[in-house]
Parts: sequence; structure tokens; C-alpha cells
Amino acid sequence: MASPLQPYNQAPNGAYVFSSRPRPAPTRLKYKNPAVIQNEESYVYGNIMYDRRVVRGNTYAPHTLPLRSQPDPAELQKQQEARRRALARKRAKEQFRLLTPEAVEGRKHTDVQTELYLEELSDHPEDASVGCQTDAFLDKPATPLFIPAKSGKDVATQIEEGELFHFDTEVQPVLEVLIGKTMEQALLEVLEEEELASLRAQQRAFQELRNAEIVEVQRLEEQERRHREEKIRRLKQQREVLENERVIAEKIAARVFAQQYLADLLPSVYNTLRDQGYFYDPVQRDIETGFLPWLMAEVDSALEKREIVLTMLDTLIYDVANSRQETWKDPLPLLVTPEI
Amino acid sequence: MAGSRISEQLPPLIDRNQSPLAFGQRALPRLAAELQNPELTVRQGALAALRDLIHDPERAYETIYHGCLERLKVLLKDEDSSIRTATTEVLYLLTAHSVGREAILREDVVGCLSELLDEPVDACRRNTHLVLKMMSGFPAGVACMVSLGLVPRLVMKVAAETEDIRELVLSTLGSCMRVDTQAAQAALASDVVTVLREQLTHSSTNIRREATAAMIAISVPPQGKVKVCEEEVLPVLVQLLSDEDLEIKANAAGTIMNTAVITKGKFQSLQAGALAPLLHLVECEHRAVCANALRALTCLAEVPRAREQLLQHLPLLQTRLNHPEPIIQRASATAIQVISWTP
Repeated sequence: MASPLQPYNQAPNGAYVFSSRPRPAPTRLKYKNPAVIQNEESYVYGNIMYDRRVVRGNTYAPHTLPLRSQPDPAELQKQQEARRRALARKRAKEQFRLLTPEAVEGRKHTDVQTELYLEELSDHPEDASVGCQTDAFLDKPATPLFIPAKSGKDVATQIEEGELFHFDTEVQPVLEVLIGKTMEQALLEVLEEEELASLRAQQRAFQELRNAEIVEVQRLEEQERRHREEKIRRLKQQREVLENERVIAEKIAARVFAQQYLADLLPSVYNTLRDQGYFYDPVQRDIETGFLPWLMAEVDSALEKREIVLTMLDTLIYDVANSRQETWKDPLPLLVTPEI
Repeated sequence: MAGSRISEQLPPLIDRNQSPLAFGQRALPRLAAELQNPELTVRQGALAALRDLIHDPERAYETIYHGCLERLKVLLKDEDSSIRTATTEVLYLLTAHSVGREAILREDVVGCLSELLDEPVDACRRNTHLVLKMMSGFPAGVACMVSLGLVPRLVMKVAAETEDIRELVLSTLGSCMRVDTQAAQAALASDVVTVLREQLTHSSTNIRREATAAMIAISVPPQGKVKVCEEEVLPVLVQLLSDEDLEIKANAAGTIMNTAVITKGKFQSLQAGALAPLLHLVECEHRAVCANALRALTCLAEVPRAREQLLQHLPLLQTRLNHPEPIIQRASATAIQVISWTP
């Protein structure tokens, strides 16, 4: 921001002189015309106590500048510049304008094209695009190797046997590491295998012992079992024998008792049978069963016949008597004809 | 110039195939991340590096801590056979440490491994069987294997596998049956005795040794003894008593001694003529052979007929009383006692 400094006015005697003298702010008069006052060039002082432009009271609230305030010096300069430029522009315009005389009364000047063909007037100038393309690069042959010309001197060095290092001493640590690691690895592997082998041997020894002991245990178990079974079998046998003996004794006792009980069975049986008539004389029986019934039957039949005869006789007699009676009832001839 | 102190670290790039190890604590997490990489070479490198690291127990613990087992389980199902082989090798090295074994049980890696039993690549199968062999050494591992039903499968594999793998399978079976009775039951159910009997006459010493070891294990439970008698294994065993290898002799004598506990076994052994070879074995210096032979004689001496014969050989047994090993002393004392017993 260009703020040209105020020209430094100096009075001849060296004292400072104002370029614009300080003056009190003019008040706004309510009832009088301000132009009148300025023409008079008398300053009207106002009481600042009653001046609206003075900020009174609370300074915290924002206050807007009143309308007619003293402008900033920078602002002032800018406005001056702007005024000057406007003026210059106006003058330039005026110069251009005033080439042709003014129009006569009743007429008016206008701009007109007098060409044959009207063309559009515009700010844009005519432009045309033109393209251009260079040829594609042709294959370039390889650039030859740049070998600068030889300059300087040739120098050679030869390293002798023991100059840089001594191989045997230097290789020592490397060898140590290599061989040491290999040995270590080999030892580890051998140790592992040995460990495994000793474990196996221990296992095997244990197995052998275990086998032997197991078989001993089993043998003793088996023996025990056999003995026990033998014992049981013998006991059973013994018990059976006792049982048998007991059964036999019972049988004998039963037999003796039965014999005794049935000793006088036979005579009593015979007596009973004889009493009931199971022993008989066959002839007698025969007579009794065969002959006598027949006899009785014959007698019976004979008697029956006799009875029949008697009955028949009775019937005859009865009939005769009846008929006789009838004859006797009849008053007819007294004929007695015995119808015999 | 190089100093002469040997550094703790190995030189960085010994093996071109191994992926380089990060420093200190970052080594294993980085390897674990590399194991999941879709690039084949990266995974192979990581596995090779892991294989070398895992010999150290601390590193093994770190591996488990960083959850590498999950990645290894995934890699077991990988398509490339070299990856599978390397993974199984890493697992085998891991089983050498007890943390490794516990972790394998916890993460149920045995289940994934059992799928590899039918793997066409030999090396991979071999490593799988090595892992199973290590896992069968302790009860929890055997319990796991039994619950997965591996014992019958292994029995079937015995006949089908090539020689060196057959050895491993036989030794796995032997340890399983020794450790856990349920495994023995499961094996008996799949006719293990028949399978083992065939292997007893194999030409290779190792296979015979493992087969006899498995035999001795299977003849401990009572059903095993019955089965051994049924399958007429005793004549074969008596033949093996004259074998060259000491361990085979010891195991054969052991099986005879186990089987002779039951009556049927006693009679069958006597029929097969076990007495003479056993007496011969008593003089042997090897502890297991001597002890097993003495115990076998003890069991057989319960038969009166055998007792008669053995009474003649009492002096031989009495020489054994002064042996430095306590087990042999005890065994010979018991034998003498049983032989001299009268009802």
C-alpha cells in the first residue's frame, strides 16, 4: 500500500508547521443550512458533551462510526488517486470524442460501415490454427564407444606373497569356526543317539524283568487257582459221599420199617378175602349160579302156565255164566243147551 | 578380520533347500506362516528348516506353542508326496519329545495319520509307522490308537507290507499289546496270533525278533494263552529256541513260559519237546534268555512227568543260584523249589 508520506513542511526557522491546521470538528446543525455556514467561514463550536460522535459510556459494545467522520490518511490518498485517474480517463475520452464536429440541430451522428460487405465488429481478432509435426525419429545407429584419448602415464603394482595377509594365520579362526561347528553338530547328534540307545536299553531291561515277574505271578496264580479248584472238587466229592451214605441209611431204615409194617398184612388180607367170599368151591358155586336159577326159572314158567290155564278157565266160566244169564233172561224156549 | 569366537548360530545358508530362518523369536512364527503358503517350494523349504530345528526340545515346544501342528495336519493331506513325506518326518522327530507326544494326542493327529496308512509312497508310510511306533510306547497313546480302531488295521497290514515297514508294524503291535489290555483284546479279535505265527518263520532276523516280541506280549492275557495253544504255535516256538539270535531265543522262551501257565499249554509244550532246549538255554549268559528259560522250566515242572525228568537236572539249576543278577537267582530258587516239590 503506497502511502506517500506527507511532504515534510518545514518553516524557515525550523519549527514544525502543519500542512493542515487542526480544527475542531464541525457540529451538525439541526436547523441551519451547512452550506451557509461554510461560506461564512466561522466555526461553530459544539459542546462535546452533547456531540453524538463522541463515544460515551460502555466501551465493550461495538460502536459504529458516525456518518461524517474524518477519513483515514491512507483512505484519503486512495480516494485522491482514484479521483485523479478518473479525471485522466475522462480527459482521454474527451480527446477521442471531439474529433468530429458536433451534430447540427435536428441531426444525429451514428457510426456506419461503408464497406461493401458488412462485417461483424468484435473484440476478438480472427485467428486460425495451424499444426506442424516433425518427422518421427529415425533409428539412430549406436553411438560409437567414446574412448577418450589416452593421457597420462601407465603405472602397475604387483602384490607379493606375504604382503597383504598371511593366509595360514588368517584362515585359522575361519577354520576353527567351521570345524568347531561341524564337530559340535556331530557331537549333538551322537549324544542324541546315545541317549536314545540308553533309553532303549533301559526299557529293554525293564521289559525283561517285567516279563519274568509277570510269568511268575501268573504261574503262582494258576497254581493257586488249581489248588483251590482241587480243594473244591474234593470237598464236593466228600459231600457227595456223605450224601450217598445218608440216603442209603434212610433207605435201609425205610425198608425195615416197611417190612415190619407189612408183616401181618398177608393173613389179614386172606381173612378178609375169605370173609368176603372170594374163596369158594367151584362146584357149589356152579350149582348155585347155574343150576338153581334155571330151576327156579323152570318152576316159575310152570307156575305161570298153570296160572294162565286157570285164568283161561275162569274166563271161560265167566263167559258161559254170562251167556247163560242172557239165556235165562229170554222168555223164549226153555232150552238148556249147554254150549260146551 | 574374523574373530576366533565361535558364534552360537549356525551359518545362515547351509542348505539351499531350506528356507532361511528369521532371527530369534520370529523364526517359528515365520515358518508357521510359510507352511500355509500356496507355493510348493516355499512349503518344502519351510518343512526342511523345521526338520532341522525340531531336534532341539526348546524349538519343539515353541513349534507346538505357535500352533504348527494344525498346519502340519493340513499338510498331511497335501497332494504332493514329498510334502507328505517331509511332514511325517517332522512329526516323527516331534514324537521324540514328550511335549510333542502330548500335543499329538491333544490335537488328534493320529486320526489324520491313520489315513496315510494306505499311502502309495514308501517313505511316507515308513515315517507314519515310525510315528505310530513312538506313540505306542505309552498308555495314553495306545488308548488313543485303540479308540481309533488302529489295532485291527495294523494286524492286517503286517502281511501286506514290505520288510522294513513290517518290522515297524510288528514292533508297534508288540508295544500296544504290552501296554494296554484292550489293545490285546482288539488284536486277538482280529486273529493276530495266526498272523504272527506266519511271521515267526520269516527269513529276516529283525522280523522274527519283532514277531516273537509281539508273541510274548500277546501270551500274557489269558485269552492270548488259549489262542496260542489253539493255533499250535508251540512247536514253532520250540524250533525258535535253537535260533541264532539271542533276543529271539529269549522271546521264544518267554512265550513258552507264558503259555505254560495254563494246563493245556504245559502239555502241548511237553509234547513239542521243549524241555531239552530250555535246559540248554539255562546255561546261556544273556540275562533275559536265562531268566525266561528258568521260568519256563518252573511252569513246566508242575506236571509230574516233567518233574521226574527235571529232577535229574537239578545240579545244573543249582549252579545258577550263584549268578550275580538277582532275578536269575530268584528264578532258579523257585525252579528248584517247584521241581523238588512232592504232594
